[in-house]
Amino acid sequence: MKKETIVAIILGLLLGGMVAFFLITKTSEKELEKSKAIAPTSTLNQEKVAVVSGYQNLEISQPQDEEIVDKEMVTISGKVEKNSLIVIQSPIKEVILNADNNSFQTDFPLALGENVIKIVAYPHSQLLRSQEKELRVYYLKNEL
Amino acid sequence: MKKILLYCYIAILLYGVTVNVYGQEQKDIEILKEKIANKVSELRKENNKAISGRVFETETGFLKIKIQRQEEYLIKLDDALTKYYTIAGNEAKEIKKENISKNDYIIVNGVIHDKTVDANSVFIDEEYLVDSGKISQVDKDNYLLKVVTSSKEEFNLEIETSTKQMILNIKTLEVERTGFSKIKEGDTVHFVVKKTSETSKDNRYSTIKILIIPQEYFIK
Repeated sequence: MKKETIVAIILGLLLGGMVAFFLITKTSEKELEKSKAIAPTSTLNQEKVAVVSGYQNLEISQPQDEEIVDKEMVTISGKVEKNSLIVIQSPIKEVILNADNNSFQTDFPLALGENVIKIVAYPHSQLLRSQEKELRVYYLKNEL
Repeated sequence: MKKILLYCYIAILLYGVTVNVYGQEQKDIEILKEKIANKVSELRKENNKAISGRVFETETGFLKIKIQRQEEYLIKLDDALTKYYTIAGNEAKEIKKENISKNDYIIVNGVIHDKTVDANSVFIDEEYLVDSGKISQVDKDNYLLKVVTSSKEEFNLEIETSTKQMILNIKTLEVERTGFSKIKEGDTVHFVVKKTSETSKDNRYSTIKILIIPQEYFIK
């Protein structure tokens, strides 16, 4: 076989390979685009992330769980999603607050001994779930 | 005679000196004891914590309690330091150690390390359960509310004539008195019940008070 023939065959194979590679890549890209259209768009996902990350969880700054106090009144404060309805209940008292901003604070009476205080926050948005915390605060007089 | 007097004088002098030295030593010991006791009391106050639970074992020198999370704690009692009280209303009445028995609900104030408490004071108190959930069923014949909490626990709340019944006014957000007839399935209820040592069948309790959040509040 002549030298020119061998070079022509090699060049033909290389060219064929390149064309085949180009066609396979293009086809898979098209298929990927088709499947993307079925799944939720990336913009939607980003919006979801923004809503979840901007949500303020119910946090109680004070009092601490299992805290001992020597006064018959305690200040309950914390953070919550804006416009949430907050229900604070114990065996001796219930307080309802509407959080105009991300924080809340209220004075709450205590009975001598153990005080089980349940704090529930109902967010204004129906898409968000209610959140709750339970505190045990012990009011024990100093002289005891 | 002079000699006898001299001996007597020396004897009295020696006795006086001995008594004086002994008295001073006793005084010093007492002051030291008081100082140590004060320091111990100060340290105890600094590290003081409280825990509550139901007594399931009583022995000389210690108690064993089971707390809310079903964990067991050993309560060490000190004959000289630990004091005992019972809480009635807003008063604490001092009692004896023997007054504490199995199944009592107690608060222990003391130094906690691991699962052991060196008790400073022990109080007999009432155990309350404060929770909330959705009303799944209103039994108007038996004045009973079936409630499912957010942790999927089911409660049967008996509404008695003594039960304080309140409702949220969704316009004013004020709490008002209400009656059983106004309670509907789907409403949210916040409730308080008193727990006893006996395990309640079907989580059925006589209810102390309820606060209803009408379902209309959540429909905006």
